Amino acid sequence: MRSSTSSSDAPVQRWGLAWVLALGIAMAFVGTVERHWRALGYRPNVRDSAQLWSIERDRAYATDKTPLLLLGASRIEFSIDLKLMRDLLPRYQPVMLAQNAHYPLAALRDLARDERFNGVVLCDIEAGGLEKTYTDMQQPLVDYYHKQWAPSWHLHRLLLSHWQHHWAVADPDLGLTASVLRLIDGSAPPRPEYFRFHPDRSGDIDYTQVDVAAARRHFGEVLANSQQLHADVAPEQWRADLAQVYEWTRRIQARGGKVIFYQSPTGPTLTQIETIRHPKALYWDRFAADSPAPVLDAMDDAALAKFELPDDSHLDYRSKPAYTRALVEALVSRGLLER
Amino acid sequence: MQFDSFTFMLFFAAVLAAYNALGAWPARKWLLLGASYVFYAAWNPPFLLLLLGSTTLDWWIARRIDAAQEPSARKRWVMLTLLVNLGVLAFFKYNRFLLDNFAALPALIGVKYVPAQLDIVLPIGISFYTFHSLSYCLDIYRRKFAPTPSWRDYALYVAFFPQLVAGPITRFPQMRPQIEAPRRTTRAGLGLGLSLLVLGLFEKSVLADSIFAPVADAFFNASANAGTAVAWSGVLAFSGQIFCDFAGYSTCAIGAALALGFELPTNFRFPYAAVGFSDFWRRWHISLSSWLRDYLYISFGGNRRGEARTYVNLLLTMLIGGLWHGAAWTFVIWGGLHGLYLSVERLLREHVWPARWNSAALRFVYGLITLFFVVLAWVWFRATDFAAGCDIFHKLFFAQGGYVLGAAQQLALAAFAATVVTHWLLRERDLKSLIARTPAPLLGLVLGLLLAAIVLSPGDNHAFIYFQF
Repeated sequence: MRSSTSSSDAPVQRWGLAWVLALGIAMAFVGTVERHWRALGYRPNVRDSAQLWSIERDRAYATDKTPLLLLGASRIEFSIDLKLMRDLLPRYQPVMLAQNAHYPLAALRDLARDERFNGVVLCDIEAGGLEKTYTDMQQPLVDYYHKQWAPSWHLHRLLLSHWQHHWAVADPDLGLTASVLRLIDGSAPPRPEYFRFHPDRSGDIDYTQVDVAAARRHFGEVLANSQQLHADVAPEQWRADLAQVYEWTRRIQARGGKVIFYQSPTGPTLTQIETIRHPKALYWDRFAADSPAPVLDAMDDAALAKFELPDDSHLDYRSKPAYTRALVEALVSRGLLER
Repeated sequence: MQFDSFTFMLFFAAVLAAYNALGAWPARKWLLLGASYVFYAAWNPPFLLLLLGSTTLDWWIARRIDAAQEPSARKRWVMLTLLVNLGVLAFFKYNRFLLDNFAALPALIGVKYVPAQLDIVLPIGISFYTFHSLSYCLDIYRRKFAPTPSWRDYALYVAFFPQLVAGPITRFPQMRPQIEAPRRTTRAGLGLGLSLLVLGLFEKSVLADSIFAPVADAFFNASANAGTAVAWSGVLAFSGQIFCDFAGYSTCAIGAALALGFELPTNFRFPYAAVGFSDFWRRWHISLSSWLRDYLYISFGGNRRGEARTYVNLLLTMLIGGLWHGAAWTFVIWGGLHGLYLSVERLLREHVWPARWNSAALRFVYGLITLFFVVLAWVWFRATDFAAGCDIFHKLFFAQGGYVLGAAQQLALAAFAATVVTHWLLRERDLKSLIARTPAPLLGLVLGLLLAAIVLSPGDNHAFIYFQF
């Protein structure tokens, strides 16, 4: 076979010059694009993914500290100051496994089936999220973890998180293809994001960047059409379907683990909507009565219920430390966790 | 681990450094073998045992074939390796396909049989390393060369990490002198190898994943409501994606090997500028098409048994080639179509097409016709099932409205057109020579822009399409 690298009639390539130029041009180009986006107010942001979730899922096993797994959707993901929680609960290793816009029953089921897991689960969920139809919402994460997750991806994702944490251009919306597409269709760049993820998957929402009134209007309109509000499942069926949740809970408890069900606070409008859809006496209270695990509703705790929720559903990131303290206090004072 | 991951960057830098730090060639070969097994185990560590077992068995059987004097004994050994290798492939890759089709037989007479669903994970790269092993044993059976007494050298031939999971499918005579004689990283090899790595990553990350894949996926995953224009944009986007994904992998593989001082065979040579279907298969996945030619087509008798049999052999070879890609009838149809293309072309060339019709204009027109039919065949490669494939063809040829294309589709079409034009401009050139001869400032500029484009194309890491084969 003819070697094209050693062809005698080819001029000797100046590889050093070519590569110094290449690296210089690449760095200058990427640096210029980064400065451009930064000047427009864009900031680096870690992108959540199945790989990032899997890194945290790997930490579900006890070492010197008891793993404290935070399950749920956006409310717990954007409300807990993980560093502060670690300081307040030195016996525990808090791990964020919640996923924005996805109810957590699949993750709970996965932990129940995992014989190696015997830590503590703090599962943030409301009556609607316990409906059987939502059981599999987080299953893709679980599947990824069990079928594709490998140490090489762990290392990759750690480095990727580092890159995303420091460079705005790591956002696909600010990438080359997205920019060319905007040039073609004449659309404006996306607004700078109002939420940020940390490499530990906890998130911050900055409500000074959000049209809070619009979010509240949305819930107001939903409430105005309250005659259309109803639960998808009748109370008795809903209650019967919870058997699977209790079975998973008992499996974890049988191994020495612990499960705590928790319902995050909601603002006045959203609370009214939820009360119409899932009357507390018919849903949540029955769950609390039947559950083999302790159940805590934030609205029953004065310190937790008082927090202002700008969009009626989530905390501003500035409230996270105080909220985290209040939640830890609520759990410890009820004997559910130890300091 | 994938070439387009941070892990591979670290891994490759570490291997490169250690490889050049070690003095003795045997030690460096052990290092490469160990690194190759780490590379493979990064996906699914238990399957490393399968690779080790398969490698050791084939190395041992090859020695038995060579040692046997009786033709019948040689045949028994070669049958054993065929049985074992194809059996393992059938178990892991074709179990579902075989069971489903077996279940369809009693259904013809109204008997319902539902086979158990086996949740078997396909070991990555199994089709590729099985073909490596088979070619080695078959060549020794054909007395083309003597087997290597060194297990390590044979294992390195099979597992050499740049080409382990998706080729190019090398032959032992290509790799033997490179494995047996000491090699080192050279300045030219490193410069060119890294250039090829960057080019391959650009094809994969920028073209395949960022530009083509979203348009192709959006169409093929939800084609029901698409109009004719969207259908064409989806099919052409997939044609771009499959090339850039697979050629991107091969380019990375060749580049990584070159940086270590090894030369792998060219696997793609600007195939969308092919003039005719036989020319296409001399430019597309060359290492597979030559494997199919040497071990299937020629074994069937090639063109030595009359004209009719030649066409049957062509068709049969391409049908099996299609099935090699995936355990589904859609892949068989894709292979069958290419078999048909090749047969019709051969028939026309031998009986109808006058030799004097060879002008540049005619060749260009025939090139466009070739591309058109190659693109149509890709529909079957990507369609989820037979019904979906038929539905897509209906959308392509029977106008269904929806002539407005979005920005993503326009960009994909422009990128596909640019890819085809590039293939025509470079169709007679050798990529490695082209890079080596480009003036350093221009090469630096191009590499710098490609690198910047890669960095500025973040997104999820998509597995290379050919990993599933």
